[in-house]
Amino acid sequence: MYIYLPIAEQPIHSLAILGVGTFLGLIMGLVGVGGGFLLTPIMMFLGIPPPVAVASVANQLVAPSVSGVLSHWKRGNVDFKMGTVLLLGGVVGSSIGVVIFNFLGKIGQLDLVIKSSYVVFLTLIGSLMLSESLRLILRKRKGKVSRGKLHQHNWLHGLPFKTRFRKSKLYISILLPIFIGIIVGILAALMGIGGGFIIVPAMIYLLGMPTSLVVGTSLFQIIFVAANTTILQASQNQTVDIVLASILLLGSVVGVQVGSRFTNILKGEYLRLILSTLIILVSLKLLSDLITIPSDIFSVVISR
Amino acid sequence: MKLLTSIQIIILACFITYKVNAKNQIVADLSQENVKISTDFLGAKILLFGAYDGQKGDDIIVVVTGPKGLVTVQKKEKVFGIWVNTKSVNYINTPKYLNISSNRDINKILNQKTQKISEIGLNNLKIRLQPGKKVQKEKEWREALTRNMLKSNLWSLNENSVSLNKNALFRSYLNLPSNVITGQFEVKILHYRNSKLISNELSTINVSKSGISAEIYNIAQNYSTLYGIFAVLLAVLVGWGTNLIFRKV
Repeated sequence: MYIYLPIAEQPIHSLAILGVGTFLGLIMGLVGVGGGFLLTPIMMFLGIPPPVAVASVANQLVAPSVSGVLSHWKRGNVDFKMGTVLLLGGVVGSSIGVVIFNFLGKIGQLDLVIKSSYVVFLTLIGSLMLSESLRLILRKRKGKVSRGKLHQHNWLHGLPFKTRFRKSKLYISILLPIFIGIIVGILAALMGIGGGFIIVPAMIYLLGMPTSLVVGTSLFQIIFVAANTTILQASQNQTVDIVLASILLLGSVVGVQVGSRFTNILKGEYLRLILSTLIILVSLKLLSDLITIPSDIFSVVISR
Repeated sequence: MKLLTSIQIIILACFITYKVNAKNQIVADLSQENVKISTDFLGAKILLFGAYDGQKGDDIIVVVTGPKGLVTVQKKEKVFGIWVNTKSVNYINTPKYLNISSNRDINKILNQKTQKISEIGLNNLKIRLQPGKKVQKEKEWREALTRNMLKSNLWSLNENSVSLNKNALFRSYLNLPSNVITGQFEVKILHYRNSKLISNELSTINVSKSGISAEIYNIAQNYSTLYGIFAVLLAVLVGWGTNLIFRKV
């Protein structure tokens, strides 16, 4: 069944969108990450204009994040103080991101920046994930399990404005999470992602937060970053397609719930292996679009 | 539907031929004058039909022109191994939709000069560069514009697509693609005899968004911040709702 998207101004097969949403929801539920950063490129492959894809995916991300936070909250896995500091940075960052987005659109380089940021980040994440899952699989085969330090101290812990985060058992400078929040916020607005795949490793390796709190806390801040991005994209660029976002989010919330029920059945490292392969494939496809000679080096933009 | 239009044509033809015979005239009608872009819009196919006071060897050319405005042509160049849009040229007064149909090759109907004067043909449009800008190799850009507009189906040239019957009736189909721009479309039907314009008829098609799809578009344009807030609230509600539903499962 085709449905005409009012903002993207084109018809699209609604079941295809619903399917993609559900599939990515499943991945999100199973692995904990993978919503936006796979969804936006897939939307672009389906022919949605990149600006509309980015803004609408930011919109849909709010739903699975809310749903996820609620279940993490019940288990006490959210550090609200840390989340609030992160989201303050995130809101500032995503506001900057939307301004950059607007500027890039005006000079006609938006598609290029969106696609090339995806190539860089997807390649990075894909290869990190791939090597980590392979290492885990090999290590388990050998039967060795090593345990690392709780967290390491480095120069980052010497920054001023130190604050105590009781829940995370941390005493660190408030500047660090704010800075992380800003960077992730900018990327979230530009790429239509929640930024979970950047913020989760940053929380573990840079802030030294306990792993159990990381996912819930990042989801908490993603809600606000995604919400801020959506409202700003809507008011500045009019690129949020609510019909597209609604179909996607219906699929994804169901997918997340179903996926999270199967996390104990499937082995995490094999799942990550599959996901990282998928990420690398998507990134290669985007890269080939950028480097192969276009069929026509001229293109037209029709102002509405 | 087809039968109905055929009957319509016959009645119209009977009614008109006698009137048309009085003086040189052409009468035309469209199967659809208002095209509504609603949630199920996949493009539209419009039947254009009518009667003309013809002789053997007469020709009919139909020119449909959509709203005009700014169209930008961008050129990509390889920068550090990546294809980047580096240059752009703005064309003003460019039709965002154009369809030229005729009963046979236009070059056989009209000579090049007449085509140019009457603005018939993809290269004879009065499209101008944005004033104050100098462009090198302008021809290359202009060709790129035509090529890309044809590729997006927004421009089309269908020679031999107007069918003539007994030197009195004509019919032609008009395709509006799903990416069509809203606005007024001018339909010009031109009747030629030995390369001379004998009669012509003007008509309009109105393309507009309608229904929920139009409402959403208008709200997104006019109340953009509220629209954004609503989009977020909807997502929050759905997220919360699924959590409530699945908690019990």
